[in-house]
Amino acid sequence: MTDLRPSASARTIDRRSILSLGLGLGTLITLSACTPTDDAPLAEGAPVQGGVLKYFEPQTWTLLYPPSVGFYPNGGIMNNISARLLWQDPTTLELHPWLATELPEVNANATEYTFTIRGGVTYSDGSPLTPANVARNFDLFGLGDEARTLPVSEQISNYERSEVLDGSRVRFHFSAPSPGFAQATSTMNAGLLADSTLGLDAEGFGPGGATGIHTCGPFHITAESIGTKLSVRARDDYDWAPPHLAHQGRPYLDGIDYLVNNEYSVRIGAVLSGQADGVRDVQAPDEARVEEQGLRLYAKPTNGINNGINFRFRHPLLADIRVRRALIAAIDRTEIVDKLFTPNFPLATGVVAKGAMGYKDQSGAWKHNPTEANRLLDEAGWGQRNAEGYRVKDGQVLALVVNTALPQPRSNEVQTLIQQQLRHVGVRLSINPGDQSKQTLDSLSLDEIQIYHSMVARAEYDNLRSNYASVNRDVFLNGTGRDDAEDSTVDPEIDRLLEELATEPVRAKRQEAAERFQDYLVEKAYVLPFFEEPQVFSFRRRVNGFETEPVGRPSFYNTWLADENAS
Amino acid sequence: MLVDTKYLFLRLGQAILVLLLAFTAAFVLLSLIPGDGVTARFADPALGLSADQIAAIREETGADSPALSRYLLTLAGFLAGNFGFSVQTGAAVSTIVAAALPSTAVLALSGFVTALVLAVIIAVLATYGPTSGPLRWVRRALDATPSLFISIPVFWLGILLIQVFSFQLGLVSVVEPGSAEALVLPTLTVAVPLSAPIAQVLIRSITEVKTSPFVKVTQAKGASEPWILVHAVARNAILPGLTIIGLIFGELVAGAVVTETVFGRNGIGQITAQAVTHRDNPILLAVVVIATFGYVLINLIVDLLYPVIDVRLRGNRTSTLAQVGTAEDTGPAEPVSGNFAGGKES
Repeated sequence: MTDLRPSASARTIDRRSILSLGLGLGTLITLSACTPTDDAPLAEGAPVQGGVLKYFEPQTWTLLYPPSVGFYPNGGIMNNISARLLWQDPTTLELHPWLATELPEVNANATEYTFTIRGGVTYSDGSPLTPANVARNFDLFGLGDEARTLPVSEQISNYERSEVLDGSRVRFHFSAPSPGFAQATSTMNAGLLADSTLGLDAEGFGPGGATGIHTCGPFHITAESIGTKLSVRARDDYDWAPPHLAHQGRPYLDGIDYLVNNEYSVRIGAVLSGQADGVRDVQAPDEARVEEQGLRLYAKPTNGINNGINFRFRHPLLADIRVRRALIAAIDRTEIVDKLFTPNFPLATGVVAKGAMGYKDQSGAWKHNPTEANRLLDEAGWGQRNAEGYRVKDGQVLALVVNTALPQPRSNEVQTLIQQQLRHVGVRLSINPGDQSKQTLDSLSLDEIQIYHSMVARAEYDNLRSNYASVNRDVFLNGTGRDDAEDSTVDPEIDRLLEELATEPVRAKRQEAAERFQDYLVEKAYVLPFFEEPQVFSFRRRVNGFETEPVGRPSFYNTWLADENAS
Repeated sequence: MLVDTKYLFLRLGQAILVLLLAFTAAFVLLSLIPGDGVTARFADPALGLSADQIAAIREETGADSPALSRYLLTLAGFLAGNFGFSVQTGAAVSTIVAAALPSTAVLALSGFVTALVLAVIIAVLATYGPTSGPLRWVRRALDATPSLFISIPVFWLGILLIQVFSFQLGLVSVVEPGSAEALVLPTLTVAVPLSAPIAQVLIRSITEVKTSPFVKVTQAKGASEPWILVHAVARNAILPGLTIIGLIFGELVAGAVVTETVFGRNGIGQITAQAVTHRDNPILLAVVVIATFGYVLINLIVDLLYPVIDVRLRGNRTSTLAQVGTAEDTGPAEPVSGNFAGGKES
């Protein structure tokens, strides 16, 4: 009986690997030796102006309403067409002025922010940037408009109202301290819109309406083919780059064509064959081969909460801390990173990435120890096994379900490996199948998903709150009034610690509050982070000066094409 | 007169009924799927909205109103030509469909014509190819071609064609190609599996007709092989082929889903694939109605073509219908054997 099981599971794996062989064939051919290698010389010297960059995205953009541009294809566009009040340095994460002439004046408890607006800035429809227009932007982003299905920005909390002080100053009022607001004004989720665009409803921000979206960034949208292509072109009159940057004036590129193809091998092949210049989302197993073909490979950090799993402790099976500790001890994170990823995916040493705000080194917290896992599970009353070798208690099997995090790299492979690791200690893990909508919907229910795989990036302390607070993403499903869990199982300490973090105006104290919260997650064995998730891009050798903003979205302002002066 | 008006009106009435039934069935089935597009979109963790905010948006979009009132509202909208708004993007469904439809129509037409040409070539060579000599393998190989073609996965073929003809040989560009250039590889991808059933049916019916007594008689009168093929065999063998053409339209739509995804063409197939992953029911409903419309239209044309091609099907409509309907039961005595019209939907 026991002998039959490994062979049965081996058979399923075989079938799966045969399938993946078939699916991966296209990529294999593309990356095989017969594809021409890119051996263009790497450019030296000063940037050259001109040329249109052809850049491939795996999915089409869905909505260019700034608070909704967290979706990668949306953000890749919004980051390049919009300008913001402040600019955040992607390396130091420090804030610098952009459309505001200086950093905002903030009152002592961070409930009032006063910005002075730069003069001479125009939107792509010709209208000027004014304090009144800035005020209208944040009224929409901070309050949302449900009648137009335009949601509030998750990055702006406690927003109350705006106040235009004079011809150059605007003040924002908050009902409670909002120390994360300054950073929120620097993200693409607060990209400023012209008055004509602010009046649009969700339809206006969607496919078909792109050319009606007017922004004041270095590029502006000029043409759209629904579902296949979006063209942005440089604004020759762009003269309001962040003063902190060495490069001022118009961008080097004449424009960018965002192309869409859902088929991975076609995107990679198009870049390898020189039909396109760049592509986002190179998969880990292909990194080495892409570099061998002479292309440039960039793994850009996203500086957020690490890719990992969250244990939904309100589910009866995970309520016992010994069970959660056992799961952590049973999972070998090193094997995941070594087997499935490359050095561009560093093993997580904390809840958040090393480059993220609020980082605390907790590398000793998640040790792999299957013996300890078995001991803890026995101790927790899961000593008996059923015929299949899984642990049982009072007739119930220790069986858990994890979601597939489709936007995250190789989520299904990661979970398959964990499934095998947990099997060794008698825990059954099922991987929730289905598309993005099914994952989203199932993840709202404790009965469907008990272990939640996710990551989220924002270069601010508030990122922790966005992810864990019961009023935001709520990865633990820790809110009251649920029909699938008693209110008594809520852990109020999570929201309390996050509230402390979100309302603390002093930066040094915010760091302490962030560390306290992360310590609590570790102490309670609520999370197991795997790795620091990068965004991996590949470009042809003629593409120079590629950069990303703090959470890994492409920024083409400094990008230039080496051979464009010849043509 | 080849087409009598009464029959035409009857068929049009049936077509409208089929459309209504398809719409209703699609609506019911889509409503049965747990979870809807509004929640799928706004509960997406990427937005970070609270449960209260999601509830407010649901209220605003009318997602919670009773199914019957939503059905009637949507139906009234469809009748007035208003397909509603995409749940995923908020864009008007008519805008999205209007942008996608021409590209799919062109691909479907070119793929269909290519498939037809391919099928006729295969069928003729497989039945009239050399039976002896060094080239006799050609006939055998072509006879097996339909089974091979039907087994090729469309996505695999598409990727292979791109890899070889675009990336390795550089003959066509897949990135921003010209409108004719953009059509070559997708057309082949659609045509190959589509040609298989047509070729198979043609091979079988040509083989059958060739052995019929009337062909033997014509042969005995001294007619040449090509003359017999064109004048005697083709006219009789084409009817089952025509029937299968009406039926493979569904396959054409399914093929477009994969082909358009692989080639990054914005078409009905591509928006269907996206709508499915986002529970975008308004788009799916529109696609179902459009696809049904296409199916009904093609089959109407096919049915109207029968009497044009076959003299025996002209004349008194009712008796002809009965004859077509029971063609399979009438057995080998009927010259038009293997007519599948009996299995056709209205």
